[in-house]
Amino acid sequence: MMDADDMIRRLSGPVSLRRRMAYVVALVMGLGGALAIGLLWATEERPPPVFGGFAVLCLAWACYGGWALTRRTPLFALDRVIGGWIAVAATWPLTLLTVALAVDRPGWAGWAGAAVNVVLALVAAFVLVRARSARAALLRRKRELGG
Amino acid sequence: MTDELLVVRCQLGEREALAELVRAWHDPVWTYVRRMLDHGDADDVAQEVWLAVVRGLPRLREPGRFAPWLFTIARRAVTNRLREEYGRQETTTASGQVTEHADEQVVEDRAEVMADRAALVAGLSGLPLAEREILVLFYLEDLSIEDCAQICAIPVGTVKSRLSRARRLLREQLGERGTR
Repeated sequence: MMDADDMIRRLSGPVSLRRRMAYVVALVMGLGGALAIGLLWATEERPPPVFGGFAVLCLAWACYGGWALTRRTPLFALDRVIGGWIAVAATWPLTLLTVALAVDRPGWAGWAGAAVNVVLALVAAFVLVRARSARAALLRRKRELGG
Repeated sequence: MTDELLVVRCQLGEREALAELVRAWHDPVWTYVRRMLDHGDADDVAQEVWLAVVRGLPRLREPGRFAPWLFTIARRAVTNRLREEYGRQETTTASGQVTEHADEQVVEDRAEVMADRAALVAGLSGLPLAEREILVLFYLEDLSIEDCAQICAIPVGTVKSRLSRARRLLREQLGERGTR
């Protein structure tokens, strides 16, 4: 019979903070990278075909991160807050970059890319605010229970 | 420390709280799985249960109702395992091949059942699954009638009648063992 400590050891993989944050980074960076490369590709006059390959690679990482976060691993309150900050840190500079690119190279593709990035940045901010309020509610409950 | 506080701490992301929760509930989960499956798969199924618990903990809305939620997950894992086993058994029977492995399993099961010290626990293995489950949840896991009803997804009245039938069957089982 396996005892509780054996079980805790077996569960150490899925509850490893480093692994969960790696999935968050894969999702956010993959999505951001795919958008940035897609935008560069759309705004270049003669884009090199390798851009398409990079964009697909980034999308694949984003899909893997999203799948792992929803199916494979739990995201506790603290993880959601950290994940929210990672998303904000990744999307806001990217948004500024794409807006600057759209101003520098006017055209529908540039503005469309900038608009998508603005939406992503707002979603990231919303996710962070929700994660912080959910964590605050849990901390309040913990204090009420004497923890 | 109450289960609710432990669960809230787990939901916050405290790893020590998760370890405490596993230490507090590993034995009841293992006992339930072992009594329902009657063989050596209990460790694997218990691990499946804990993985599902860890993945589901952040979404648990009522931390105070942890025990029924935990046993609902355990029940689902046991049901899936039994379904797989019945599927395998049907395939084996259909092809007329009773494998050596199956024979070994039976011998192993008998040896394990014989090793059980308590007469009550030994008697449980002879009961039908539904009755065995209700006895394990009510008597071995000390869950309330309402919690048993929630876990088994049946009305409270059905739990009571099933408990009564299970007690009668167990009494008959123990009586037969006593007269042999």
